[in-house]
Amino acid sequence: MHRSDLLRMTSVKKSYGSLVALKGVDFNLREGEVMALLGENGAGKSTLVKLIAGLAQPDSGSIEIGGRSVKLRSPQHSLEAGIAYVSQELSIVPSLTVAENICLGGHVHGPFWTDRRLAAKVKPYLELVGLGDVDPSSFAGGLSVAKQQLVEIARMLSRNAKILILDEPTAALSDVEIEKVLGVVKKLASEGRSVIYVTHRLGEVFEIADRVTIFRNGSSFDPVEVATLDIEQLITSMLGRRLNEMFPPRATELGKPILSLRNLRVAGMESPVNMEVKRGEILGFAGQLGCGANAVIRAIAGLNPVLDGSIAMDGKTVNHRDPGAAIELGIAYCSDDRKKDGIFAGRNLVENLTSTNLNRISPGGVISAAREKATAEQLAQQFNIRIDRLQSLAGNLSGGNQQKVALGKWIGISPSILLVEEPTRGVDVGARAEIYRHLRVLTEKGLAVIMCSSDNQEVLGLSDTVVTFFRGKIVRQCEAEAIDLPALMRDVTHPETNSPGVAA
Amino acid sequence: MSRREIFMDVMFRTGLMILVYVGFALFIPSYYSVRGVAALLDGAVVIGLTGLGIGVTMLAAEFDLSVGSLAALIGVVTLNFINGAEVGMVTAIVLGVVIAGVFGAAQGLVIAITGINSLVFTIGSLIGLRGLALFMSGENTVNIPVQRLEETDFLSASVLGIFSIPSLVMIGAFVLVAAFLRYTVWGKEVLAIGGGRTEARAAGVSIKRAMVVAFAISGALAGLAGAISCVKLGSATPLGFDTLLLSAVTACLIGGIALEGGRGTVTGIFVGLLTLRFLVGGVSGLGAPFWMQNLAVGSLLIVVIVAQLSVRQLKSRHDAPALPVH
Amino acid sequence: MISRLLIQNLAPIDAGDGNTFARRRKLSLAFVGIGILALLLFGGLTTPGFLTLDNLLVIVRAASITGIVAVGMSYITISGNLFALSAEELAVLAACIFAYFMGAGFDVVSSVMITLVAAVVFGSIQGVVISRGADPIITSLAFGALFQGLASVVSGNKQMLLGSNAAEWLGTGRPLGIPMQSWAFVILALIGWVVLKKTRYGRKILLMGANKNTAQATGLNRTLVVIVAMSVFGLCCALVGISGAAQFSRATATMFPGLNIDVVAAILVGGIALQGGRGSPLQAAFGAVFIALLQNYMLLHAFTSGQRMMVIGALVVASTLGYHYLQGKR
Repeated sequence: MHRSDLLRMTSVKKSYGSLVALKGVDFNLREGEVMALLGENGAGKSTLVKLIAGLAQPDSGSIEIGGRSVKLRSPQHSLEAGIAYVSQELSIVPSLTVAENICLGGHVHGPFWTDRRLAAKVKPYLELVGLGDVDPSSFAGGLSVAKQQLVEIARMLSRNAKILILDEPTAALSDVEIEKVLGVVKKLASEGRSVIYVTHRLGEVFEIADRVTIFRNGSSFDPVEVATLDIEQLITSMLGRRLNEMFPPRATELGKPILSLRNLRVAGMESPVNMEVKRGEILGFAGQLGCGANAVIRAIAGLNPVLDGSIAMDGKTVNHRDPGAAIELGIAYCSDDRKKDGIFAGRNLVENLTSTNLNRISPGGVISAAREKATAEQLAQQFNIRIDRLQSLAGNLSGGNQQKVALGKWIGISPSILLVEEPTRGVDVGARAEIYRHLRVLTEKGLAVIMCSSDNQEVLGLSDTVVTFFRGKIVRQCEAEAIDLPALMRDVTHPETNSPGVAA
Repeated sequence: MSRREIFMDVMFRTGLMILVYVGFALFIPSYYSVRGVAALLDGAVVIGLTGLGIGVTMLAAEFDLSVGSLAALIGVVTLNFINGAEVGMVTAIVLGVVIAGVFGAAQGLVIAITGINSLVFTIGSLIGLRGLALFMSGENTVNIPVQRLEETDFLSASVLGIFSIPSLVMIGAFVLVAAFLRYTVWGKEVLAIGGGRTEARAAGVSIKRAMVVAFAISGALAGLAGAISCVKLGSATPLGFDTLLLSAVTACLIGGIALEGGRGTVTGIFVGLLTLRFLVGGVSGLGAPFWMQNLAVGSLLIVVIVAQLSVRQLKSRHDAPALPVH
Repeated sequence: MISRLLIQNLAPIDAGDGNTFARRRKLSLAFVGIGILALLLFGGLTTPGFLTLDNLLVIVRAASITGIVAVGMSYITISGNLFALSAEELAVLAACIFAYFMGAGFDVVSSVMITLVAAVVFGSIQGVVISRGADPIITSLAFGALFQGLASVVSGNKQMLLGSNAAEWLGTGRPLGIPMQSWAFVILALIGWVVLKKTRYGRKILLMGANKNTAQATGLNRTLVVIVAMSVFGLCCALVGISGAAQFSRATATMFPGLNIDVVAAILVGGIALQGGRGSPLQAAFGAVFIALLQNYMLLHAFTSGQRMMVIGALVVASTLGYHYLQGKR
């Protein structure tokens, strides 16, 4: 059954600066099919999607829609070509009604809007996405995230989209909600629309996709019919080989427990958390967006409230409610968004590195240039930051160097626990190994590191102990030696097919 | 917020307004009379029109600090039309409003294109417009010649007992703006960029157009306030309307327009306006000197700001577990 | 709040070419400096009596009142809280409080001390509200009305005489031939600069302004930083109020018309980055000097006050736009 290719991309290349995101990728999409895009973080699937959505332009290669060559210069362009992109970030204005949100930004609804007229216009689209029972005149902010996502899809349909791109639509949804979204996707495809479905969850692929395109390191494989696939095959093709030398050796000996969580309940986790971290240990949380790992880390950092249970350090229960108190206890935290709260982009590295430690560099309130310089240089040396760059602004560094600064600034206060989210997000491959090494060196000095990452190889390669998360539940806790990559991947993407404790 | 919650919010504020009214009416006899209420309403026109305009920019999560200077300038300009070009009163007012609206639109466009914080940008126009008002008036009070003063009488006549032409114009403006925000695409876009700037942009809303519309409305209404009140008075001072901004903001905030944008209703602004008016009228009705009014408005605004902060903090504590975690 | 929201919406600092960025930063200060020199040169060549010692002293004195408050306000701007529009009212209130105590027979030192303490309290109350997340401009607008009202209450809305001339030297003294206010201005600007660049507190202001989230994540106390900045601002307003009252031996509730606008204009013309975390009190001081020069030049050329205001307004808009692009889309 070979239907015609609706969208075809041939040897498309795209790089961002020195980072090659796509190295000549071929891709095609047929009419009325659901095509799943799979791949690890940074494999290139989001770049490809952005090219199709008109959010970025390819460096070379061609894009054809319905046999005609097109240039998609802007999202508007793509929309006119019948392509609608539903991103992970919602574009629903909560203070407007459902109907208004659907019509917002379109150009075909006339200058005067009344609830009744709009309701009549949007009703068919709401029904298409299975929201026939939602009152079009109710405020969109009152809907669940899943329903808001469906409203977004309805908006795209009202603009006559032939190709729908859904970028991890289910990441933040509960099981019931996911079923709903998947149902709509299936239905839309059966009505002749094509869907590009980006996901990390393998189960969904088998449930709804007709074909799968797998991405690895900026290249794509030929699309495969899902019917002919099994999960082992899928995992093997996604993984490929990565250099194991990237990761430093694991800890040979762990110290005394430093932090323990007892029946800890936090928002974002469905079950209570029990775990222990020892000095010198790297504890790695693996899981995808919305899995709950961040929620645990942020609770330890004093950012998210502890609903129940306790956190104990060195056996003593601690009760900190804000980052300041956590820092006093020796808990340092690096979020997954450096630019937002990890660095001072507009200040130089000296000031960044000493920002946690102002008291030490300013005896009596006056900043001692000598102490400041000494502290900054010492930290820079530890983290392999070039001394001659200390005067440049943090915002001007590469992602890797920024991350080193974000981590390095904490070392000045000699914390006992370092919490890191996504330690190498936006960091190029070369600098990754270096950051891994730094984290290991820190633990060798007796520090405990808890990190969470959606990069499975990173968790497995770096950690001494691994905890896997799936949708607000812990799937397993074990020594890193006791689990291999395919098993870990199954845990975080599709744990149902996996009997606990069995490593493939 | 659901519709019901919004309704309850407005009801709550209306209750507060009635409370203020009744409180003062116990001590001030004129609060009972039709004439007294007419005076209260008529006295609310300038603040009401300006507050409505500022309210629209606040709903778009922007702010227009230049309204006071603009009102003064348009007052002067309108009277210049009457004196120099010898046009009729209504024509002059309309011309003034158009000029103010065009200026507002241009201001909105520049703010949208450059992306400069509107609070900062409008400080510049606040200074410049005041200078222009001084310049256009020759730094003197501009007066309508005595022989033409009777042409302005229609603005002071009472209509149906409790209204006047200016207060009817104000009420008309409230109805029009409410309808505009409720029933037109452009109005919805203004609300959209206030309720979620990034979301609206992602949905394909033209930020530029929405900003132009919001600032044009705020400019036109400030101009209308300046023109009507100066024509009615028969004179315009270039240094007038200097505390207008404060009162207008206060009316909006009492009326439930959120400073962070996107939340509030036109009805709310009207209720806030009357609350403020009853309070200020009451304070002076009780015999307090005029400068006590400023004290009262300032204190009231501080109370409102602190109350909003507390509510927000309580809410965020309450809502914390519902935050999406990723 | 709105201004916060807008600041967040402004494009993040461009991670482009580092050198351009650093160079652009220095340019802001150079720009005002060059502007001042150019104006001096141009004014001197075209206007008789402009470049005389007497006139320059007049200019410096005129710049001093605005400048003292602008230096105080620069901390607010640099800490990422835009402006406070209560400078005028706080200065008036301080003048009235000072006059009240002088009139009640207190000696100069106690009156000054009481006034300064009161101003610090008034400043820090605003700081408490702002640090809780209220919009700085709206909040200070409200407090301004309150201060104005309080000043009227203290003065009974009448002229208050100081009763003795004991404090006159505070307003009219000329140590080494230079007015007291100008000494205060220069000394404050230098202290403000040194404190910002060389002390722990100054560093906290810079870091807080550079990135509020990171600052909080590294354990800096936002409330404290904002309160101290607002107190410094209050102190500067009080100094202006005291010197004004002392100079004329009286205080009224309408003493410093237009001070708010002048101060904000000085900050904007001085080119302190509005998203915070950059700039120095010296820029505010230079901005005040530049505006004073321009005002003086226009006065000598018989510009009317309306024309002068238009020029200043245009200058503020132009510098807002200019620095906006110069500093890479703030």
